[in-house]
Amino acid sequence: MLLDAFYALLDVWVLIAAVVGVIAGIVIGAIPGLGPTMAIALLIPVTFTMSPIPALILLLGVYQGAIFGGSISAILLNVPGTPSSAATALDGHAMARRGKAGEALRIALYASVFGNVFSCLVLMLLAQPLASLALDFGPAQMAALMLFALAIIVLFGGGSILDSALMTLVGIAAGIVGLDPIEGLPRFTFGSFAAEDGLQLIPVLIGLFAMSEVLLQAFGGHRQSRPPTKVGSVSGHVGILAMWRMRVTLLVSSLIGTFVGILPGIGSTVPAFVSYGFARSRSRHKETFGQGEPEGVAAPEAANNAVTGGALVPMLSLGIPGDAVTAVILGAFMLQGLTPGPFLFQHHGVEVYAIFEALILLSIPCVLFGLMMFKGAVHVIKLQPRHLFPAIAILAIFGAFSVNNSLFDVGVMLGAGVIGFLFRRCGFPLPPLLIGLILGPPLEESLRQALLTSGGSVDIFLDSPIALGLLGVTALCALGASLQRLRHRRQGN
Amino acid sequence: MSYHQQGSDALLVHRITIALATALLLVTTTAWSEPFPSRPVTLVVPYGAGGTTDISARQLAKLAEPILGQPVVVENHPGGGGINAMRSVARATPDGYTLIATTSSPSFVTPALRDVGYDPIQDFLPLLNYSGPYHGVLINADSPYRTLDELLEAARNGTRLTYATAGALSGARLSFTALSRETHADLQHVPFDGASSATAALLGHHVDIALVPAYRDLVNDGRLRLLAVLDDERDPDFPSIPTLAQSGHDIEFPSIVALMAPRGTPAGRIDTLRDAFTQAASSDAFAKVMKKLNQPVRLMSGEALEAVIEKNLTDYRELASELKR
Repeated sequence: MLLDAFYALLDVWVLIAAVVGVIAGIVIGAIPGLGPTMAIALLIPVTFTMSPIPALILLLGVYQGAIFGGSISAILLNVPGTPSSAATALDGHAMARRGKAGEALRIALYASVFGNVFSCLVLMLLAQPLASLALDFGPAQMAALMLFALAIIVLFGGGSILDSALMTLVGIAAGIVGLDPIEGLPRFTFGSFAAEDGLQLIPVLIGLFAMSEVLLQAFGGHRQSRPPTKVGSVSGHVGILAMWRMRVTLLVSSLIGTFVGILPGIGSTVPAFVSYGFARSRSRHKETFGQGEPEGVAAPEAANNAVTGGALVPMLSLGIPGDAVTAVILGAFMLQGLTPGPFLFQHHGVEVYAIFEALILLSIPCVLFGLMMFKGAVHVIKLQPRHLFPAIAILAIFGAFSVNNSLFDVGVMLGAGVIGFLFRRCGFPLPPLLIGLILGPPLEESLRQALLTSGGSVDIFLDSPIALGLLGVTALCALGASLQRLRHRRQGN
Repeated sequence: MSYHQQGSDALLVHRITIALATALLLVTTTAWSEPFPSRPVTLVVPYGAGGTTDISARQLAKLAEPILGQPVVVENHPGGGGINAMRSVARATPDGYTLIATTSSPSFVTPALRDVGYDPIQDFLPLLNYSGPYHGVLINADSPYRTLDELLEAARNGTRLTYATAGALSGARLSFTALSRETHADLQHVPFDGASSATAALLGHHVDIALVPAYRDLVNDGRLRLLAVLDDERDPDFPSIPTLAQSGHDIEFPSIVALMAPRGTPAGRIDTLRDAFTQAASSDAFAKVMKKLNQPVRLMSGEALEAVIEKNLTDYRELASELKR
């Protein structure tokens, strides 16, 4: 089976599809606002007349390329191209400012490839059993998991726990705007139909991270020009040894990414931040996180790329897509006559394994073209802010508008930009706000679903070993963090 | 300098005159003898690109292009469960150049439950219905209930059963609310974010029942059991499974995927569009794509569709006002 599948890949069209897909994906991913979902949706009509294997490899190449591409603009401009690369910007941009842009990009690339290969191997070996694990996560278990993720971000995200908790709550509050998930009635929309969709993630993300950066520069006062940031050595060598030193971080992050990818509806942003938190909490030099720590780049990149393979598990074996991107890929599979679901592996085994193998082999063009693109892209860092930031402002407006073709979203982006600017000026961290906005709505939805199912009884959380376990670990983490703090204070005295 | 200025002014006046004359000419020809369609037709899809509604609408557009002799441009306008797009098409110029490919929930479910900023009857003229995924009443294969009656019997006698739907304001939810009122069965609604999450919740035994489409392979695989369909006719893939109405309940949730134009579009243009799209939807090429997408082709005339929408809108409004009380 595996060999037959490999022979199916020996086709010049497969090679062309892989190369075109990966390049298109990296470029589109690097542009803020144009995520993998849009890239794939735009390319689906192109694949109508192609045969199944090249068609799906083209789309999966775009998917992989776009998730990695988002980190290029995150590292060089501090503007995450996709939500999942917001965590990469924390240390990636700090490294770039210190003249290590080439090194940061390489670490991001290699970590991406590691996460991707890891999750594809898991997908190949364990798709069927893992799919049933995903089904064990009902509303009660999801609510416990969301709470756990929020706790990790607040406790181990770095900086003051109180600041993080406040920002998380601001994010959760922002997530309340829109239609009530259970009753379907509008909340805090003030009669505006446009606000019924809530504050969309991408406009908020672009506003918080990109627009606020523009405003910071604009209101930065005297600093009209700065000495050009050193590009550093473009070929900034990252040896196998450097990556080997991060092996545990890479492995743990890939595991987190794959696991969260299997669960529906969380996406790749949360695992990126959670594994960043884990890497930081494990590290012996926590204080360098946020100042340009290579492991702070590797952890989120490995995690958000590992989501790719994970998200395909329930999509392929059950026909149930976990997020917007896989829902679009599901449509593409069906158009090619490969209906995902229980019969896919029986009826189209060769095609499916060919696609798995291709997903792993796609790493090769990803590395080749990634490295080629760095050579040019890395010089962006030399631009003076007064030349660069107007371009970023335009990209931000364009990106916010292009999500739903809605001017309301542009308003949301500008508002988020002003709020992000004020928070940054006051020294509050923005990532917890983003995580609160992402996790708040599903936390509310799953909590209320669980309580509807149980008729209002909290026993539903206590009867499930998964939910109980997650709640227990959350409590342990909170305890551990407080003890650590206590010890620090004693040592300080 | 001043000569130059004068010259360019004169040129400008001259240009404006020509432009006005051309515009006038265009206006008169439009009013008198413009063959329809003489420019691309826009087909709005109220959901994101890549979903089944989008893919089938794109296919239909492609097949209608040679018949109409003009390109049919598909525009995605997602958000609000289809409501945003419906609202903007309701306000579009009714000249036959803007159409929408819409589904049940923004046509007669959500408007019955709350203010959406348009009236599905007053603002829209249905051209034809071309699809509509069958929604089933599904339980796990290891569930003790064999028929809908057995299930309702249990729910009447002290067993509280939960049912998952694709969302708070879904038609499936309304039909089961009506069923639970009619039969006094203890049925608790649990809305999910989309039909796939609802199906996953059933497969993981987190709910007892799911009211969802796209169940064929999971039923054939022996994981789920189909007890009834909510539509007004049986699913051709499962001819032995009755509808809710055939099971003795006066309740239905007809699933539609239809083309509509803003009300006020000239009758002649409506006829041209209807003929072209009906021909495209009846073609073998369209049937082939729909089969791949696991979606049925269900053709229904605009008049029949209007009657369906009107009836359900009234029923659901009644149900909603009862719910509020």
